[in-house]
Amino acid sequence: MEQDLNKLWQTVLGEVEMEVSRANFLTLFKPTMLLSLNETTATIAAPSSMIIDLLQRRFYQIIKKTINKLSKKNVEILFVPKNVVGLKEDAPGPLFLEPEKKSIPVGHLPRVRTEYTFENMAVSTSNQLAYVSATTVAKKIGQVYNPLFIYGPVGVGKTHLMQAIANDVYINNPNSKIAYITSEEFTNEVVEAIRTNSTSAMKRRFRGLDLLIIDDIQFVAGKEKVQEELFHTFNILVDNGSQIVLSSDRPPSEIKKVEKRLLSRFSGGLTVDIESPDFELRTAILLIKAKKYGFELNIEIAKRIAEKDLDGRSLEGLLLRVITRTNAKGGEPTDEILNDALDSKKEEDGNSFHPDDIIKNVCAFYRVKPTQIRGEKRNSSLVKARQVAMYLLKKELGLTFVEIGNLLGGRDHTTIMYGFNKIEGLLKTTRLSEEILGIKGGAGGKHMEY
Amino acid sequence: MKVILLAENLQRKISFLNHVVPSRSQLPILSNVLLEAEKGKLKISATDLELGMVTLVSANVGEEGAITVPAKIFSDLSLNIKEGKISIETSGTNILLKAPGVEATLQTMPSEEFPKIYKEKGDIFIKIKKEVLEKEVSRIAFSAAQDGGRPSLSGVLVRQDKDGLTMVATDGYRLSLRRNLAVLSGKDQSSSVLVPAKVFKELLAIKEDEDDVTVSISKNTNQIIFSQGETVLVGRLIEAEYPPFEKILPTSHSTTVSFERAKLLSAVKICSVFARDTANIVKFSIGKNKMVVSANTPSVGENKADVEAKTEGEENEIAFNARYLLDLLGNIDDEDLVFEMTGPLNPGVFKIKDNPYFLHLIMPIRVQG
Repeated sequence: MEQDLNKLWQTVLGEVEMEVSRANFLTLFKPTMLLSLNETTATIAAPSSMIIDLLQRRFYQIIKKTINKLSKKNVEILFVPKNVVGLKEDAPGPLFLEPEKKSIPVGHLPRVRTEYTFENMAVSTSNQLAYVSATTVAKKIGQVYNPLFIYGPVGVGKTHLMQAIANDVYINNPNSKIAYITSEEFTNEVVEAIRTNSTSAMKRRFRGLDLLIIDDIQFVAGKEKVQEELFHTFNILVDNGSQIVLSSDRPPSEIKKVEKRLLSRFSGGLTVDIESPDFELRTAILLIKAKKYGFELNIEIAKRIAEKDLDGRSLEGLLLRVITRTNAKGGEPTDEILNDALDSKKEEDGNSFHPDDIIKNVCAFYRVKPTQIRGEKRNSSLVKARQVAMYLLKKELGLTFVEIGNLLGGRDHTTIMYGFNKIEGLLKTTRLSEEILGIKGGAGGKHMEY
Repeated sequence: MKVILLAENLQRKISFLNHVVPSRSQLPILSNVLLEAEKGKLKISATDLELGMVTLVSANVGEEGAITVPAKIFSDLSLNIKEGKISIETSGTNILLKAPGVEATLQTMPSEEFPKIYKEKGDIFIKIKKEVLEKEVSRIAFSAAQDGGRPSLSGVLVRQDKDGLTMVATDGYRLSLRRNLAVLSGKDQSSSVLVPAKVFKELLAIKEDEDDVTVSISKNTNQIIFSQGETVLVGRLIEAEYPPFEKILPTSHSTTVSFERAKLLSAVKICSVFARDTANIVKFSIGKNKMVVSANTPSVGENKADVEAKTEGEENEIAFNARYLLDLLGNIDDEDLVFEMTGPLNPGVFKIKDNPYFLHLIMPIRVQG
């Protein structure tokens, strides 16, 4: 009902706008609303009785005529003084926060893990600069480096560092408004807000923050509306002296499909990188993690694991495997267990591929585009890439020929069978196996996450 | 329309009526003032559609009538006339303004386009001495929010209680409260209104010989109407829920500091120089019989200022936004003040010595170390 009234009133205003001067429309008509409409009366709210006086004396007939025409009724107009614009109130401010809230310790920030603190972060030359910048920012939010932009490859501790900032700020002032969010979640919020027509609520939510942390900002690439929202939020927060922290897998200058004005904002503060952990740091990370799991890790074993050049996250996975196996057998972790764990890690990695990853890697290896692989063209290089993809999808993921056919642009399952057999045959006679290993190596590497 | 009036009478009214005229308005008529000549008076009205003011000037009315003239030109002209009689009369669509040695022609707009500022005065809410109201309002109204994001906080809550009037203003970071304010007369039952803080600002600007202010409320038009002498100020009441301020008034404290307002004011002023780049943070360190105000900016330097004070209770530290302190210390004129606090995270309370009815809360800023 209310919506119908609103719709009707907007139509009325649309017609009135044509007939009155712009100044009159903006000052007198814009802040009005149709409150109710029955057979005899249309009740219209206007913010002050002075506005009502002018509407009544000078525009009564226009309003009446337009309402009657559009509603097909014959009503008189009744004005009531009521402020309808800006009825929604923001929260009244920190003075009015419940005192209990002030004493809540760590751990109630959504999406932020309490164990990610500055104290339990291993620091070495590869991440020292980032660590120092982050601690400085946490102490003086909005005052020093704004924004703080942290970039580096997967598993080097970007998220740990950013969540540590959130936790630190929160411990020191539980009243601060903090949001930790991935750029995907930010995108979803914007989309949802547009869908439910609640953008102003979303704006208020983000723009009232003291600290906004966005992880993996590179994913806003190509999303114009999201970038625009981000741009405005960014400016308002910086103007208000709020802190912004961003992370990405590459420096701002290398992020593609992001508006220039936004990129220049990204690099307006301090940009620091975290390199892949070196051997010493990997060892330290392992010792810290093992302690977290309540496991006594021998430093020699830690070194052995750290020798594998893996990112932080994979190291942790490997460590967990060593721990579970050791616990199962009892006693100290042995070389046997270690080798076992390393082997099974390879297997798992192989199985954790997504079909798209395989296709992407094949494409990357043969320098063709996924659309070409899925497409119709049949030049020899394309055909080879396509058949290798068929082979790998079957071999690595155990997909059926029909499934593979669907994945590769809706090909018939017999085509896939033919391709698979062809590659299997070639593997016996040619050096194709090296190529396949190369592709798999790429697929098992660090950048498989996207 | 034809009137003759004394320059000084007109000038006195113009000086405060001017405030109400919007400096930039989309609606041209609002840049004008309405002149109405009737029964020995010239009535002048100005409005920005939220606020309105009507004032009467004694005049010799030769011919009754109404017209609007550009406010800025009319006031600049009137204020520059030295003394003597001014005559204003319509001539076609213009008006002719004459004073000794001066003759001016002003463009006009028809009076029908000007909104009526009030239709009825409604019920009397209270009567109060202007002097009393002025003192209280200046201690309170500055705490109201300036932005429009929270309509309720942009107002001053005026509540009629059993033992007098209660006035509150807050922007969510600081709060001013006055209780038990004596009024000349008022309604018996308790009632409250939320008045835009800027209405009070205009009220204070009014200069009239009459000292009593009558405050009325018109429910029909949702307006509050202040009448003082021959001037009427009309504002729109805010329809919003006021936050439960009584809940946040501290009931106890662990540290008390007595000090002189001027001394703290100068200490805060000096320190705020160094606080400009660090979110305006100044720190109070309360020790035995002294209070040290300090501020620092890593790249600029730091300073400290001692404030002579009498302290009781725990030694304590607390930090505030200097702007809030300057607002408070600049808006009250009592010299002996008391500061009470419980901890660095709880609101600090400022009171006037021997005045149990006024208090001001400021939310502290949490700082490291």
